[in-house]
Amino acid sequence: MLMANIIHIQIPFWQLFLFILIPVAVMAAGAVWLRRIVHNRSVPEEDRDWSVPPLTDTAGVSLFHLWDVRCKIITILIYSFAVASLKHLTPALVAIGISLMILMTARVSFAKVLLRLLAITGFVSMFIVVMPFSVPVHKGDTVLVFKGMAWLGFNLRGLRLAATIAAKAVAIALLMEPLLSTAPLPVTLYGLSRLGVPEMVGQMVLLSYRYLHVFRHEAGRMSSGMQVRGFRKRTDLTTLRAVGNFIGMLFVRSFERTERVFDAMRARGYQGRFPEPAELRLRSRDLLLAAGWLALGAALIIYDRVVW
Amino acid sequence: MHEPQGSFQRPILDAPLFSMDGVFYRYPDDTQALSNIDLDIAAGDRIALVGQNGSGKTTLIKQLCGLLLPSAGEIFYKGKPLKGKHLEQNRLEIGLLFQDPDDQLFGHTLLDDAAFGPHHQGLAIKDAEQAARQALERVNLLEMAYKAPHNLSFGQKKRAALAGLLAMKPNVLVLDEPTSNLDPHQEEVFLSLLRDFSGTLICISHDLIFLYELCDRVVVLDKGRIHHDYTLRELVSQRQSLRDHGLDFSFRLVNTTLSCDLTESKPLDGFHRTRTLSDVSKGKSLVVLRDYHYRYPDGTLALHDINLTIQDGEQISIVGENGAGKTTLLSCLLGLRQGLGEFRFAGRLMTRRRRKTLWQRIGMVFQDCADQLFCSSVREEITFGLHQLGYSKDESRKRLSQALSMVRLEGFEDRVPLHLSGGERKRLALACVLAMEPRLLILDEPTAGLDPQGEELLLDILCRLDVTLLLVSHDMFFVNKLTHRTLVMHKGRILEDMPTRAFLQDERLGNLNELSYTYRRRTSSAILTMQHEHEHRHLHHHLHTHRHRHGEVEHDHFHEHEHEHIHRFAHIHPGDEKNHDHRPRRYHDHNHPGHAFEDHDHDHPGHAKKTDEHH
Repeated sequence: MLMANIIHIQIPFWQLFLFILIPVAVMAAGAVWLRRIVHNRSVPEEDRDWSVPPLTDTAGVSLFHLWDVRCKIITILIYSFAVASLKHLTPALVAIGISLMILMTARVSFAKVLLRLLAITGFVSMFIVVMPFSVPVHKGDTVLVFKGMAWLGFNLRGLRLAATIAAKAVAIALLMEPLLSTAPLPVTLYGLSRLGVPEMVGQMVLLSYRYLHVFRHEAGRMSSGMQVRGFRKRTDLTTLRAVGNFIGMLFVRSFERTERVFDAMRARGYQGRFPEPAELRLRSRDLLLAAGWLALGAALIIYDRVVW
Repeated sequence: MHEPQGSFQRPILDAPLFSMDGVFYRYPDDTQALSNIDLDIAAGDRIALVGQNGSGKTTLIKQLCGLLLPSAGEIFYKGKPLKGKHLEQNRLEIGLLFQDPDDQLFGHTLLDDAAFGPHHQGLAIKDAEQAARQALERVNLLEMAYKAPHNLSFGQKKRAALAGLLAMKPNVLVLDEPTSNLDPHQEEVFLSLLRDFSGTLICISHDLIFLYELCDRVVVLDKGRIHHDYTLRELVSQRQSLRDHGLDFSFRLVNTTLSCDLTESKPLDGFHRTRTLSDVSKGKSLVVLRDYHYRYPDGTLALHDINLTIQDGEQISIVGENGAGKTTLLSCLLGLRQGLGEFRFAGRLMTRRRRKTLWQRIGMVFQDCADQLFCSSVREEITFGLHQLGYSKDESRKRLSQALSMVRLEGFEDRVPLHLSGGERKRLALACVLAMEPRLLILDEPTAGLDPQGEELLLDILCRLDVTLLLVSHDMFFVNKLTHRTLVMHKGRILEDMPTRAFLQDERLGNLNELSYTYRRRTSSAILTMQHEHEHRHLHHHLHTHRHRHGEVEHDHFHEHEHEHIHRFAHIHPGDEKNHDHRPRRYHDHNHPGHAFEDHDHDHPGHAKKTDEHH
């Protein structure tokens, strides 16, 4: 039910499509643009020098590369919670600005950052399209009402809320690259285990990362095997049965491979622990950097709550 | 199949490195994998472990590495039982190379992976890394130290897996099918690396030509028992023994010499091909590719400037090193990938829409047939494609029966594909494709993982087919037997398009596209000479048992004696000379008719030398 001090602006019905199509089109164009940039910036694997660690290859060593991985994980995690707790759009946009500065400092691959943004594009688009139509109308809201459809209002507060959520998501997504790409994955997982995460979890993540590619290739080959014998996905029982067989066979093969991998690990001395990938040493500069960044997070919250 | 040598006595070694005493192993599902294994292995031995699929070879090497413990019997390593603390202390001296390198490369980068073993040997981080770097350098992969294993080619993965073992500086290397799926160049690189290894080597392979280059001694396993333990020279020279164990690869040797003599009209010995090259030349173009290119999504150019015409009825092979673009080309032909350029099938331009129907006319047997077998029974597997084609149940049943008959799998309808042997699965995959009656049959490395018996059977089946064939293989024997025309691919291009006979005679191509077949030709020729067989009468030693009497006592036992009789004998023949020497041999099998009734002398333990009366 509409309240008395709500501002209603009536607009022609045909503009409804603009309000739906424009955000979708903008996001889709953005996704295509990101994809193109990622494609253009991707360095072919063969062109790299693999005799040196990729982290020191093109990017060079930044402050983030030298930062103790445990400090880095905790600081970015706490800072991300701080960003997630922001309530207003402007501080969220400031958070994006901070994230971009961090990206510059960390000298991470721009293409990979864009790839992460591409991954959240669908999720963010959904918010921007749906929320303006679905947020409850509050006192002081401005609602655009389409002629002949009084029950469907486009709430500008909803749009702002969606934009705030999207900005926070982008700000945090931008930080994932400095978190994950400034140390080798085994070192990051080792840091997690030193922070109390069970060692087995880290080992499982590491092996999953390695074998995900193998299983993806296996699944791809099996899918090709089905396609060359005429399999096409349809909504019928035959398809269901074939997909069931496919998943079952993939599971059997994965299980058999797991056993063989475990045998191979045992044959090379594995007794429940992976070797430590690096020596972790906490220095005062690590703590200083963490303190500085967390202070920035606190300032952002104060700006969000006090100034706005 | 002959019985295991009851009289077989294992060579007695003073201080064996490994000693297996009466080892039995039964899997939890009650399968008896090993029975009464007695085997001594000396330090520095180079042993080939051979036998048909399912004969217990892999189980045996797992026992030697301590991954499985015997159900009964004992395994000794350096004189102590290989279990408990002794196993923990010594396991890292025994390196096991798995058949599939992906099983073994679990590290984040090659360097991480190669350093895994040295870390567990107690080396500090830097020392372990140093050992890993040295090992990677040995296998020529140091420049890829920080590359993730999944970004390597198959040959590189194999070498990386070996580096992971070499970094541990093992005393013993145990290898399971080290050359399977490698191109000839990679195979030769691998062979050279293994030749340089100075420790004990135990190698499982179906490839006796490769083993002949690498090993001196051979242990033949059959149904979990050791049937023979002698020199590899002795095994390869005895065709009957090879045949008894499903290991007879001699059909390849015959081909090696014939390969360059293959003529278009000459019928293949024992097989029936219904089409000749002259017929083919009259055929219509089935596949036409003009200026065809394909680029992977990451931008890598996989195929370029492909111009290819396949006539209806032609048999064509595609050869090239791993990564040359062969599989990508097949994917494009099958419509799984779409490149740029003109692609016509049976005269029709393949548009995006039409290529989705190519499966109805092109069939492919994959390199790893597990990739195309996913149903719960053989019947379901074969009728899957027929169902997609819309055939009636009666027609499907008829074609099922025909296809099974063609690949000699009659009566297998209700069997589970997953439980079939490697050779049976390969033939089933072929049956699935043949049942759909494709106009173009594509075979991708059809011999991968097959034992010689399986290969021979597959060859027999393939030779009888009358279909347009595209064969992708590193196996020059199959290329020679099955095809008339060969395409040589290198780095995404077709370098040469020539008659197979000319290709096999052209040594230059071997170097050009990094393929090398020289050692195989050399070894095949050497083995062929050894398999020379004819009748001889000569003095020789016998070590055998039969019933005989000492006065009132009648019994049997081993005894050795010398005598002369005629028998067929495989041996080295120096040219055409009629008089030639017979090299001393420890054992060889041959019939000995009437021997039990002959008088002869032999030393008898505890008795004076005397003449025995035989029954």
